[in-house]
Amino acid sequence: MGVTRDTGNGTHRGWGRWMRGPRAAVTLGTAWGQLWGHSSAVPTAGTPGLLRCCRPAAPGDTLAVLGTGDCDVPSPGDRDVPCQPSPALSPVQVLPRALHVPSAARQLHTSPVCLKARAARVRAGKGDKLVTYEQAHAPHHIGHRKGWLSLHTGNLCGEAGAAPRALEDAFLRRFLAGTFPGLLLDEAVLKRRGNLLVLCALLARALPPHKLYFLQGYAETLLGHFYKCPVRLELQTLPARLPYKFI
Amino acid sequence: MAARRVGAGCWQRALWLGRRCRLSGGRNSYRSSSSSPALGKTVDNPQVTQEEIVLPRRKTWDKLAVLQTLASTVNRDPTAAHYMFQDDPFLMPRNAAHARLYSLSKESGRNAAKYIIKNFPQYFDKTFAEPNVPCLMPQTLSPQTEGVSEEALRERVHLRMVKEAVDMFDQLLQAGTPVSLETTNSLLDLLCFYGDGEPTPEKEQEEKEDLEEPGVDASEQKAPKRQFRRGSQSGPRWRENNHAERIFKIMPERNAHSYCSMIRGMVKHGAYSKAYDMYIDLLNERHKADVHTFNALIRAVPYLKDKFVERWELAKDFLTHMAQQKVQPTLLTFNSVLKSLRRCGGVGRTMSLFVLKEMEALDIEPSLASYDHVLSVYYRGVEAQSSDIISEVLNEVEKRSFTAQDPDDANFFNTAMQVCCDLKDIKLAYQLNRALEKGDNWKFLDVDRSNGYWSKFFSLLCMMEQIEVVLKWYKEMSPSLFYPSPKNILDLLQALDAANQLEVIPSVWEDVKQLGFSRRQDLLEEFLSLMSREQHPSEVQLAFAKCAEEIQAAHEPAGPGQVPLEWTGSALGHVVVLFSRAGRTQDAWNMMEHFQKINRIPTDQVMEEFLNCAKQTKCPDEAIKMVKLAASLGLPLSQRLKSRTEEEFELSETQKKALESIKWDGDSSDSDSSDSDSDSSDSDRE
Repeated sequence: MGVTRDTGNGTHRGWGRWMRGPRAAVTLGTAWGQLWGHSSAVPTAGTPGLLRCCRPAAPGDTLAVLGTGDCDVPSPGDRDVPCQPSPALSPVQVLPRALHVPSAARQLHTSPVCLKARAARVRAGKGDKLVTYEQAHAPHHIGHRKGWLSLHTGNLCGEAGAAPRALEDAFLRRFLAGTFPGLLLDEAVLKRRGNLLVLCALLARALPPHKLYFLQGYAETLLGHFYKCPVRLELQTLPARLPYKFI
Repeated sequence: MAARRVGAGCWQRALWLGRRCRLSGGRNSYRSSSSSPALGKTVDNPQVTQEEIVLPRRKTWDKLAVLQTLASTVNRDPTAAHYMFQDDPFLMPRNAAHARLYSLSKESGRNAAKYIIKNFPQYFDKTFAEPNVPCLMPQTLSPQTEGVSEEALRERVHLRMVKEAVDMFDQLLQAGTPVSLETTNSLLDLLCFYGDGEPTPEKEQEEKEDLEEPGVDASEQKAPKRQFRRGSQSGPRWRENNHAERIFKIMPERNAHSYCSMIRGMVKHGAYSKAYDMYIDLLNERHKADVHTFNALIRAVPYLKDKFVERWELAKDFLTHMAQQKVQPTLLTFNSVLKSLRRCGGVGRTMSLFVLKEMEALDIEPSLASYDHVLSVYYRGVEAQSSDIISEVLNEVEKRSFTAQDPDDANFFNTAMQVCCDLKDIKLAYQLNRALEKGDNWKFLDVDRSNGYWSKFFSLLCMMEQIEVVLKWYKEMSPSLFYPSPKNILDLLQALDAANQLEVIPSVWEDVKQLGFSRRQDLLEEFLSLMSREQHPSEVQLAFAKCAEEIQAAHEPAGPGQVPLEWTGSALGHVVVLFSRAGRTQDAWNMMEHFQKINRIPTDQVMEEFLNCAKQTKCPDEAIKMVKLAASLGLPLSQRLKSRTEEEFELSETQKKALESIKWDGDSSDSDSSDSDSDSSDSDRE
């Protein structure tokens, strides 16, 4: 049972010699870039050092130099939708293709830089920042001092469905954050038992109980219809966030 | 097991430890469980000899302890709320009103989600589950066929779209297309079922499914729905010349089905005399009515005639017609008869037994609704019935497990428990509980009804049973099975009073605070009067004083949004007495000063108690202040108080002088007041 935690640093070891600096996640023009890059709440994000070119090299094209996270370079014949809005194109890129300028040939979509050494770690402050147990421990403590936040069998040997589970997890966390705005005191734990999806959330007591029950009934029904499986929401309330230490 | 691998060496060491502990005063008693003694003795540091090692006492378990513990986990948990609530101290409901509110909020959350799914089906209609789960797909409630045709009309009827169906029908007629009889009949059924109103999107969940019998349907307003249900009729009323009647009139041909639908719709929505006229029309047309129509007509009987005998005669007429038309009566027919007999007074009592015998003859098993009607017929009103029907009914009900066949089945248990309470018979109540536990019978009590049922049972217990039994039931039943109502708390206090166990009152007060009844005047009065009636041993008295303090806090102006309660004279007096008995003189004096604010006079007992308290705590100042107060109020007791103060207290010179001056003021004020009275009366005369 494990979460989709990236253990390796990408498969292209050959690039390692070139890429000592901060790496960008370079993927195809899909939404994955956003997922990996932005959600700091997902402690499982290591650095997905996936460096892939999007389209096979056309004859005559030279390989673009992969620098420090170039923005995506849309070419006129491109069918893929870039995941990020392209900033102002450099003059090189607006030149017609006949010129075969190197940097205009490839389309690379990159996310912002996400260092694996900075993932899911709360940086030390002046001593007044309240930090819960979950936040205080870094990802390498998962399995030792921390449990997993999402429990499913997709990562076991021979089991399928790890990626869809990860996608569902991301959606469920955002959904819970939006349905209980400002009330979630800590990360929700998602448990899958067979077909059943159990969301265990820790809430503050800012809303009166009947409103919390309303939101619970709403979330359970909506998510059940959305994912076509029974969804149960287990709520626990606390007066405030539980501090583990102050850093 | 690990125990077997423990060698002899460990055993010797354990014995040595045991001997050492015996020397140092520890106690040894052998467990009779099967685990080895070596495992139990884990004293970490036997080398520490300087301090005395105080070992905890070894527990003795009897042979069945493990089994008993396991068994206690299988039954209902007496501390948990209903399964539908979250197990969290903030989210657990504290009383019956909260329980209802939370369950309804959850349901309305579900309805909100269903609204969103209905209005945005495009986000929910991907079928990626294998196999597909149809109940989690959005329902297509919009009609597919366009245009004006009979197909379209049938589809709208199927989708329960009343207004659109009527419009479609009118369009078809205007276009001249003939509409077939079945389609018109189905349209008529729809209109009669919904009484010409729209079906509301949310159905009331508390009623069970409707069978063919049109039971309680969703009405338009939601807030008065509860009164509607408790009242005699529910749903929209039958309007004059509404769509159903209009369509019925313009139908070129009508068959028995049309008449029957109209009759059933009219009875359901309260147009009883019209239903009867329609039935006469049906007979004139020589059609045959079906069993559901007859059921509806029999239910309408109490509204058609006024005299008891006439009602029974009319019901018998309907039954004879049924026999003539060779319509087989069902359980629901007999239940309708019994329901009408409820409103037939004495006639009902004699006839209901005949009805039961008839059911037996036709081999129809009575359902709980039949028994409910029979009980209501016999035990109606406040006059004590000397009949034994209830025990016979309970004997019958206890034998088997019932299924839901009639919407009125759900009322049986509450009615029966009410009868047991009226008859003050606890054995019958226990028998009823046993009937409730049999098979599926517990399903007839939903959360609301079960609260009322157990509430009545608890009141009966308080009246009839010993206090230990009452307290045992109380601990087991609340708050998991029911939430005590204020009446239950009053009954419990009375029972405690009768059994002379008033020291339990502080724990009952804690429960009352948790239930949220701590601001009810009647409960507060009862608590205070019981606590302050007699003298109690000192710890009890201290606990009472704490309760009194909390009650007093409720009367103070608290933070924003809290209206302070009004003091009454007796409550104030009780609080003073309780404070005095606990030796809290200052608090008692603060309370005494409230008397003037509310224009009340403290009773003699109150002032005597206060003086006792002042004497015990040696506060002569307070005593003098009290005498002053009494004198200013002009009480006859003030003399006695003054003399008591002089005798019992050790007063300093200043205090003695103050006391003397009071007397003087009191006298002079009396004479002054009398002079002024006479003056004023003289002035009046002049």
